Amino acid sequence: MIKQVRKSLVWYVFIAPTFILFGLFVVYPTLETFRLSLFREVATQQELVGFAHYVRLLTNQVFINALLNTAFLGLAFLLLVIPISLVLASLLNNLRVAPNLFKVIYFLPQVTSTVAVALVFSYVFQPNWGLVNGALRFIGVNPLPLWLAEPRYVLTGSRSAVTILAIWVALGYYMLIFMAGLQSIPVDFYDAAVVDGASPLQTWWYITIPSLRPSFVFLFITGIIDAMSRFSDLWTLGGPAGTPARSLQTIVMFIYQTAFEGNDYNLASAASVILFLIVLGVTLINFRNLLKQEFANL
Amino acid sequence: MSLDHIQPAPTESAKRASALQRFLASRRNNERVEQVGIFAVLAIGAILMIIPFIWMVGTSFSRSANMAMPRIPRLWPADPSLFNYQVAVTNLPIIRYYFNSFLVTTLTTVGYLFLSALTGYAFAKGRFPGKTFFFLALLTTLMIPFEIRMIPLYFLMRTLHLKDTLAALILPFLAGGFGTFLMRQYISTIPDDLVDAARVDGASEFVIFCRIVLPLCGPVLAALAVLTALWRWNDVLWPLLVISDRNLYTVTLGLAAAGRSQGIFTGVALANTSLAILPIIVLYLFLQRYIIRGITLTGLKG
Repeated sequence: MIKQVRKSLVWYVFIAPTFILFGLFVVYPTLETFRLSLFREVATQQELVGFAHYVRLLTNQVFINALLNTAFLGLAFLLLVIPISLVLASLLNNLRVAPNLFKVIYFLPQVTSTVAVALVFSYVFQPNWGLVNGALRFIGVNPLPLWLAEPRYVLTGSRSAVTILAIWVALGYYMLIFMAGLQSIPVDFYDAAVVDGASPLQTWWYITIPSLRPSFVFLFITGIIDAMSRFSDLWTLGGPAGTPARSLQTIVMFIYQTAFEGNDYNLASAASVILFLIVLGVTLINFRNLLKQEFANL
Repeated sequence: MSLDHIQPAPTESAKRASALQRFLASRRNNERVEQVGIFAVLAIGAILMIIPFIWMVGTSFSRSANMAMPRIPRLWPADPSLFNYQVAVTNLPIIRYYFNSFLVTTLTTVGYLFLSALTGYAFAKGRFPGKTFFFLALLTTLMIPFEIRMIPLYFLMRTLHLKDTLAALILPFLAGGFGTFLMRQYISTIPDDLVDAARVDGASEFVIFCRIVLPLCGPVLAALAVLTALWRWNDVLWPLLVISDRNLYTVTLGLAAAGRSQGIFTGVALANTSLAILPIIVLYLFLQRYIIRGITLTGLKG
């Protein structure tokens, strides 16, 4: 018995540092966020107010705007980046000359910091002399679009500019994941298609795309979670308020602004809990598959 | 067998052979056209990917860019000079920022790798009561994005007197659910016999871990190291909350602050940005094989 305990003791020692750090830096702050969201600060004392902050949030125009903005920017990004990266990955997968060179180039923006990339793009989209409008002027476009200075929902407004930025940054990563998926499709599938006399385009549409289902699911779910917690690039471009006219404000920027500029930590915590519930909902879809694989052999 | 004996056959087979050759040649031609087409599309995309970087570097050498930019963008300025870089290095303690970022990233990555591997080893090869419970608890933490706990974490740092110290940038990121999970999956594939043989020889679990398990984890540790390093190096939200002392700024935070204050001087701002980006790009070009393999292996981008 004692021996048994001593034998397992070493394993507890191995996992202890990780779980102590988790308790302190993950579990405690998460629970504390939930607690804060139900309280209110009255003269340095915390007073229970129940769900009052959640009610305040759901009637708060700024919060609703941030929530819808986050969803809109996330969906616009995903619906564009997935087809573009799929086509480019399929092309790259068939290229026999210098495929690695292209991988390296397309992945480049992903290793540079989001802040740096966003700073460069604030100049790229400068309306008078930026790289984009300069090129448009060169080919005779008039009037030139305003990009980051245009808060309305138009094709050349601030939301489009940051969506182009996000696609430019993420393209290489999405291509890599699709290429890994493409390389795992069994060759037999393609042989069968050739025997049936399918054209390359038919093969791509009827065999390649359905076989990439796992990659689509993975990219869509992780993409939504990333989009929900978007902060650095939009904060660099528009500050915590998502200037112009809050057109670039996301939930995390709302949380940051409410907590660290408005000092309303309780309201910000309630917004965090709502963000958590959204992410949880998306993750659970993914998690069920993970658990199924994981606990089949545990 | 010679075909010459059969009269009609030679012409027939020769015709067929030349038809086949023509078919193969046209296919080769088609394929060449196809390859050129694919290359062209990808090359246009690649140019679009790097042109902002080239424009950035070009403009950073232009002194006049601080007053007026050319209406038609130039990739190389008419007045190349190092002026913007002189201003950048006198205004920004960029070496200091690099030192801070390097210290924080290295310590976090080493700690994260060690703890992930150690805990992953316990979950992969250990037998102890409550293992499933602890592993489930670990998986649950995977679902908690950082942004959700950042407010209490900020207060915790204040309470622990860690605000405005580099430790605040390291401690909360030493243990990670993803790293532990990945290491556990990988270590599970190491044969039990290898570990058991060492146990029979009387090696302690920690010795087995250091001498046998860790050396076998090379590829996955490399992938995890790259991802952790990228993730920590590029983070701005957390440093923004806990670091207000300019001497403790990381490269990313320093760049963001400089972007705020000197953004109107395009030349200087782009020189700052180049100083923050170019060393990382050079490092990336050396390590690209490991980085790209790491991303493909784990499906994460840091």
